[in-house]
Amino acid sequence: MKIDLHNPLLQITLIFLAGIGFGLFYSWKISPVTYVDADPSLLQSDFKDLYRQVIAASYAATKDLPRARARIGLLADVDPVGELSAQAQRMLAAGEPFDRVRRMAQLATDLTQGVTANPFTSTPFSQPVGTVLESTPLVEETLTQEPPPSFEGTLFVEGTPLSPIIQETPTPRSFSTPIPTTVLPFMLVGQETVCDLTLEEGLLQLILMDARRRQAAGVHIVITWPEGENDLFTGLKPELGNGYADFIMQADEVYSVRVVDGGSFVPNISAPLCSDPGGNQYLGGLLLTFQQP
Amino acid sequence: MFTSKRIRLRIIFVLGVVAGILYGWVVDPVEYTDVTPGILREDYRADYVLMVAEAYHGDYDTNAAARRLAVLGSASPADTLSATLEYARGNKFSQQEISMLQELFSAMQAYQPGEGISP
Repeated sequence: MKIDLHNPLLQITLIFLAGIGFGLFYSWKISPVTYVDADPSLLQSDFKDLYRQVIAASYAATKDLPRARARIGLLADVDPVGELSAQAQRMLAAGEPFDRVRRMAQLATDLTQGVTANPFTSTPFSQPVGTVLESTPLVEETLTQEPPPSFEGTLFVEGTPLSPIIQETPTPRSFSTPIPTTVLPFMLVGQETVCDLTLEEGLLQLILMDARRRQAAGVHIVITWPEGENDLFTGLKPELGNGYADFIMQADEVYSVRVVDGGSFVPNISAPLCSDPGGNQYLGGLLLTFQQP
Repeated sequence: MFTSKRIRLRIIFVLGVVAGILYGWVVDPVEYTDVTPGILREDYRADYVLMVAEAYHGDYDTNAAARRLAVLGSASPADTLSATLEYARGNKFSQQEISMLQELFSAMQAYQPGEGISP
């Protein structure tokens, strides 16, 4: 088929297409739309991490859970609580200060529970317990929880009419100051051997509960052994419980567990040996349960 | 006759350009997905600054506050706070929120990079 370039209709079409091509090139490459009013969901991942940290720090100061939820919602994460927990674990692995990690874990926990929990403040740990307690069954959390609220992208919870303009001069602080609270020590109330082939060998599981038997998130635990130590925080795996933390023990190694917050000290912890149905031995796990009196 | 044809073709070309630009700017503009906080919409910027002020009210860590404000652009933290205070007053922020912004504003005015944690 021969194309007749003198065909007026073809000429018009080609010229028009050339114009469109030039227009697209101009609008996409030479002078693309410049965004100046972006929303937080478009932020780079590292800035999203910073945004979450600031939300957690703000929440730690204000305890305004609805607003923290709204702010987290602005990031449009598919799993906001999971993102917070994952970021807390990344921060822990990167050696960031424990307080920052704890804020993240606390916010994740409170968002999951739908209520603001009382924070645990660090206190010197108490006398070593030193006695092995009898095995007691794990007390399950029986509190009713609110259904997880949806994360909506609303920003300001409420506004109040603007009151008389105040000058931008330093003014005395008029806010409430944190009231020191006495933190009750976490006591070891249960130590169970766990022989379960589905679990990782040598798994040390820790569950911490407050005086009301609610799992306590953001509690700092230190595991020590002759060659080193490891820091844990409860609540970094909210899918396993807000007061849950775990650690992998090695065979023939003796560990000590110290609850830094409202402390308790449990020495001489080691992975037990278990037998499978065929009589073969394998490294079992331990479940330690701590509770405030 | 020849001239009118050229004019007509030019008009068609211009129409094509206009159509292309409209498509590229309005219908299907370039989408950015990894933006910096510097181009956040004004209300989001203000809320971010408010969060920094709330956090500062909890820990009085001027270095952390300055670092968090620095991501908003090249303006100094005090200038950022000043602009946010203006926005807050015009947008029915609560008195407590404005006070927290003022508190951080005062701290940022006196802030010297590298100083320790303020009481």
